[in-house]
Amino acid sequence: MSTLPIITLDGVRILHPHNPKTSLLNDVSWQVEAGSFWVVAGLQGSGKSALLETIAGIRPQASGSVQLFGETIPVRSDDALALTEIRRRMGLLFKGNGRLFPSLSVLENLALPRCYHRNETLSEAASDLAPLIDYLELDGLLEQIPSHLGSSWSRRVALGRALAQQPELILLDNPLSGLDTTQLRWWRNFLRDASRGHPALGGHPLTLVITTDELTPLLPLGHQFALTHAGRWTVLGDRASVHTARSQEGVREILGEIH
Amino acid sequence: MDPLTSTFNRAEVRKLGLRFAPALIETIETVTHLAAFTLITLATGWTRFGQNSRVIRPRTLHEIYRSGVQLLPIVGFLGIALGVVFVGQTLALMQQVGASGFSGTLIVTVFIRELAPLTAGLVVLARVGTATVIELGTARALGEVEALEALGVDPIHYLVLPRVVGFTTSVLCLSLYLILLTLTSGYAFAFTRGLKISPTEFFGSIALALSWLDFPVLLAKTTSFGAVIGLIICYHGLARPLALDEVGQATTRTVGHCVIACLLLDALFIALYLFL
Repeated sequence: MSTLPIITLDGVRILHPHNPKTSLLNDVSWQVEAGSFWVVAGLQGSGKSALLETIAGIRPQASGSVQLFGETIPVRSDDALALTEIRRRMGLLFKGNGRLFPSLSVLENLALPRCYHRNETLSEAASDLAPLIDYLELDGLLEQIPSHLGSSWSRRVALGRALAQQPELILLDNPLSGLDTTQLRWWRNFLRDASRGHPALGGHPLTLVITTDELTPLLPLGHQFALTHAGRWTVLGDRASVHTARSQEGVREILGEIH
Repeated sequence: MDPLTSTFNRAEVRKLGLRFAPALIETIETVTHLAAFTLITLATGWTRFGQNSRVIRPRTLHEIYRSGVQLLPIVGFLGIALGVVFVGQTLALMQQVGASGFSGTLIVTVFIRELAPLTAGLVVLARVGTATVIELGTARALGEVEALEALGVDPIHYLVLPRVVGFTTSVLCLSLYLILLTLTSGYAFAFTRGLKISPTEFFGSIALALSWLDFPVLLAKTTSFGAVIGLIICYHGLARPLALDEVGQATTRTVGHCVIACLLLDALFIALYLFL
C-alpha cells in the first residue's frame, strides 16, 4: 500500500455556518493515506459534515491549509479548473438524501458527472455505468425521479453518483443513519468491498472517510478512527485505541454507552 | 440665516441621510456584486465555450424552449391586442387628422424601438423569470449547488450560461414575433374599420420610417434586455446562500431590479439614438 497522503490538513479551523463568530472545529491536523479507511465519529453538530465539505473545497476554512492529492485547495476558488480536476478524483456523499437533483431522473443523476466531464451521451454513460448500477441494485429505479424514492434508496443513488467517475477517494457523510437492517447490511458489505477493491467500483481499494454519530456499526470495519467533540479534533488511532479511549469525553457517547 | 432654521435643516438632512444611507450602500453593493457575477459568467462562457456540449447544449435548447417557444401563445395574444389597441387606433386617428404620412414614424418610434423589446422582456420576466429565481433559489437553499461543485460541475456553466443564452435568444425572437403580429393585426383591424390605406402604403411608410441604425440597435437592445434579465435572475437565485423562506423575497427583488435595469438600458439606447 502506498503511503502517499491523499488528504493533508494542517491547523484547520472551521467556522459555524450560521454563526461565523464561533468555531465549529479548531486546529485540525490530519493525514489520510491512500487505501486507508477512516471513521470520523462525533455527536450531531460537532462539525463532521463541515469537515468533509472543507476537504472537498466546498466550505472554506477560516485558517490552516487543506491539501488533496498533494494540491492545496484554495480558500477562494480562484482556480476553478484546477479544483475541478481534483474533484474528479474524489466523490462526496452528502448526508440525508444525498442532495440529488430533483428535476433529473435517477439515471440522469447517476450519469451527470460522466456526461459532463467525458462529454458522453446518456446512453453511452448508462452503458459504462451498467456494472455499477447492477452493483447498487438500481436497475428498476432508473426512470424514477428522486422525490419518488425513499431516503435510503435516494442515498444509494447519491452514492452511485459519487462513484460514477471511479474516484480514488470517497467521503461519506453519515451514510448509515436511519437505515433498516437490510439496507444496513448492504452498506456494510459495500464499505468492505470499497476498502478491499471490487470490479464494479473500479477494481482498486478506495480511500474511505466516513462520518458517523454512532460508532458501533463501523467499529469492525474502519482501520483508523478520529473524534470531533466540543470543537476539538482527536485522532484516536486504530480499533484497539478506541477501546482504550472509551473513558475519554465524547467516546462513550458515540459508542452508544449512555449510562 | 436664522441659526434655529439652519440647525433644523442640518438635523433633517442628517436624519434623511441616515434613512437613505443603508439603502444606498445596499444598492452600491448589489450593483458591484452583479457586475462581478456578470464578469465571472462572461469569463466562464469564454473559457468553456463548446466544452461539455452533450450536457450544456440540450440544457440551452430546453431554456430557449421554455422561455421562448412556450411563450409564443401569450406573446401572440399580446401582439394582436397591441395591434388593435395601438396600431389600429393610431392609423385611424392619423387619418382623421389628415396626418397618415406620419403613422409609420409614430409606430416605429413608439412601438418598434421602445414598446416591443420592453414588452417581450417583461413577459419573459413575468412568466419564466420569476419561476427561475424560485427554482435556483430553492436549489441553492437545498445545497444542490454544492452538490454540483462536489461533482466538479461548474454551477455557472451548468446553471447560469444556458439560462442567460436562452433568455437572450428568446427576448430577441419574441420581440420580432411581437412586432410582426402587432403590425399585421393592427393593419387588419384598421382595414376592417374601413381605413383607406393599402398594405403597400402601410408597410412602405414603416419601412421608410426605419433607419439603418434601427436594425443593429433593435438587435442590441433585445439581446441586452434578455441577457440582463437572465443575469439578474441567476444572480438573485444563486449568488448568495438563501434560506427557503428568503426565496420569495429574492423573487420580488429580482422583478424590481430587472424592471429598473431594462428601463435604464432603454434610456441608454434612447441617448444613443439622440447622439448618432
